[in-house]
Amino acid sequence: MDLAVQINDLVKVYDGKVRALDGVNLTVETGKSFALLGPNGAGKTTLMRILTTQIKPTSGEAHVFGLNVVHEGSKVRELISYIPQEMSVWTDISGYENLLVYAKIFDIPHHEREKLIHEALENMGLIGVKDDLVRTYSGGMIRRLEIACAMLIKPRIMFLDEPTIGLDPAARKAVWERLNVFKKDYEVTIFFNTHYMDEADLYADEIAIISQGKIVARGTSEGLKHSLGGELITFTVEKIPINAENLGEIRKLHFVKDISIEDTSISILVHNAEDSLPYIMDVLRNERMPVSKVSISKPTLDDVFLKYAGMRFEEKGRISDVVHTRRMIRRG
Amino acid sequence: MLKALKNMLVMIELEMRRLWHDRTEIYSRAIQPILWMTIYGPVMGSARAIPTGGVPYTDFITPGVMIQTTTFVSILYGLTMVWERDSGILKKLLVTPAPRYSVVVGRSMASGVRAIFQALIILPIAFAIGVRFVPNPTYFLLALIVIFFASGGFAATSILIASFMKTRERFMGIGQAITMPLFFASNALYPLQMMPSILREFSAYNPLSYVVDAVRGLLITGNLSSLLIDLVAIAIFNITMFTLASVSLRRIIE
Ligand SMILES: Nc1ncnc2c1ncn2[C@@H]1O[C@H](COP(=O)(O)OP(=O)(O)OP(=O)(O)O)[C@@H](O)[C@H]1O
Ligand SMILES: [Mg+2]
Repeated sequence: MDLAVQINDLVKVYDGKVRALDGVNLTVETGKSFALLGPNGAGKTTLMRILTTQIKPTSGEAHVFGLNVVHEGSKVRELISYIPQEMSVWTDISGYENLLVYAKIFDIPHHEREKLIHEALENMGLIGVKDDLVRTYSGGMIRRLEIACAMLIKPRIMFLDEPTIGLDPAARKAVWERLNVFKKDYEVTIFFNTHYMDEADLYADEIAIISQGKIVARGTSEGLKHSLGGELITFTVEKIPINAENLGEIRKLHFVKDISIEDTSISILVHNAEDSLPYIMDVLRNERMPVSKVSISKPTLDDVFLKYAGMRFEEKGRISDVVHTRRMIRRG
Repeated sequence: MLKALKNMLVMIELEMRRLWHDRTEIYSRAIQPILWMTIYGPVMGSARAIPTGGVPYTDFITPGVMIQTTTFVSILYGLTMVWERDSGILKKLLVTPAPRYSVVVGRSMASGVRAIFQALIILPIAFAIGVRFVPNPTYFLLALIVIFFASGGFAATSILIASFMKTRERFMGIGQAITMPLFFASNALYPLQMMPSILREFSAYNPLSYVVDAVRGLLITGNLSSLLIDLVAIAIFNITMFTLASVSLRRIIE
């Protein structure tokens, strides 16, 4: 298997005291969309800056497409695109000029330049504003311009540090739709940092959760959630008291992991709630237990985070959101 | 190497584009040297206290006050690297295939573009108020080239200084704090012979003095006897600063 990213025992200590990365091991397969999910200060940016050859690790190794990020930095830089967490375009020139400057920096041949820039602008829905100063763009447009810059060179892997930070849900959706088309068309690997759980959930093929410089869990979104034990279906029945014997038939179903009864409700733990529900309903009907209400409760990534990192990060996420949004606004 | 050179040209092009979109700054920065030339120059000149070697005092200080402004512009420009670190521009530039030193040298030389346009605003005004220039286009061109390269060196100097700064606060203040001592301890307003000996010693290490001397020779007096020394001094200054700034870039990134 061709690995896009391979990280071994990576440690980064800032100024001899802040242990931002504390022994990270990670692999990312080619062609996948990979999310590094973690709260404020978890070390996401630090990891990405090492992978993009900006800073050196204190110890450990990292490879991008088999190239060592410390010793073969210039070769790595030929293959990657990177969008930092902060705004990274010039606001006092137009969107088109930004792309032109980057096209020249990337040494894109003269005859291809116009076509590629046009394509990137088109892909990102910026054709109409290409000659406006970036200063007049909205946050979402700036992010799309940055992605257009990143697309110019048709990289093998894109590193995106919080690509939709500070964007409203509609703008986020638009950005990701375009990223996904690009990913499919050019088979680019996408490595992105995020602290939005739903973003990781929706747009990542694989997720690694980072907390305090350590990878505490990794897998697909489904896999991570299922690793918590399964999904819970709760039935409220009209027949009281519930007779445990009546439930014998349900217990026999192979996918049922556990059952608990409380007053008028029966909770059943299964692997997949949607698939299991019809079978259980059938049994309940046969047993003449009329159901008045059904509810399904699935584990969220937040639950996953709680389990593996021992803390929730919803609240923290919101605070950092505000900070980041400010940072985006304070542009120019 | 070729790539690095191309990169520097792109940085220069970028700067032209930025200037094209917003020219107010070079206009407003022209005010200060014009005040020097229209008020300070005639007043001091009428006192006839300063030996200028035969040229009118206002003419004598014109290169100096102009270079003070272009130097200030390029020093501020270098300091913006700190700001570009805060925004993601510098980070993104460092992840392009361009060699790191070309980012430093390219950004520095781009400040020379600003400096030249600054000079091109100030010089016609000086001419209009009666400053007499050596009527030789080659000299004129050479003077602009000197200003261009020297600005690169000053911008690199301020990148070096910026690498010790943690935030972008006190930006302007630092720009002034670097420029003013260089300006007053140079031959911009008075000939070196008039200075106390300690200051004269210092002035021998002051790059601004060499720039002023070269440009004054080329534009005002036509006396090029020390031009070669000036150019060598500026070259040494530039190479030293480019090297130090490239090395210090690591500190800006981390
Ligand atoms: N240049 C630096 N110098 C010193 N400490 C740093 C530096 N950059 C980051 N840190 C520290 O390292 C830790 C990890 O920071 P990092 O920026 O990698 O986190 P993050 O997961 O990207 O957080 P965020 O959601 O805020 O972007 C934090 O404690 C941070 O304060
Ligand atoms: Mg970060």
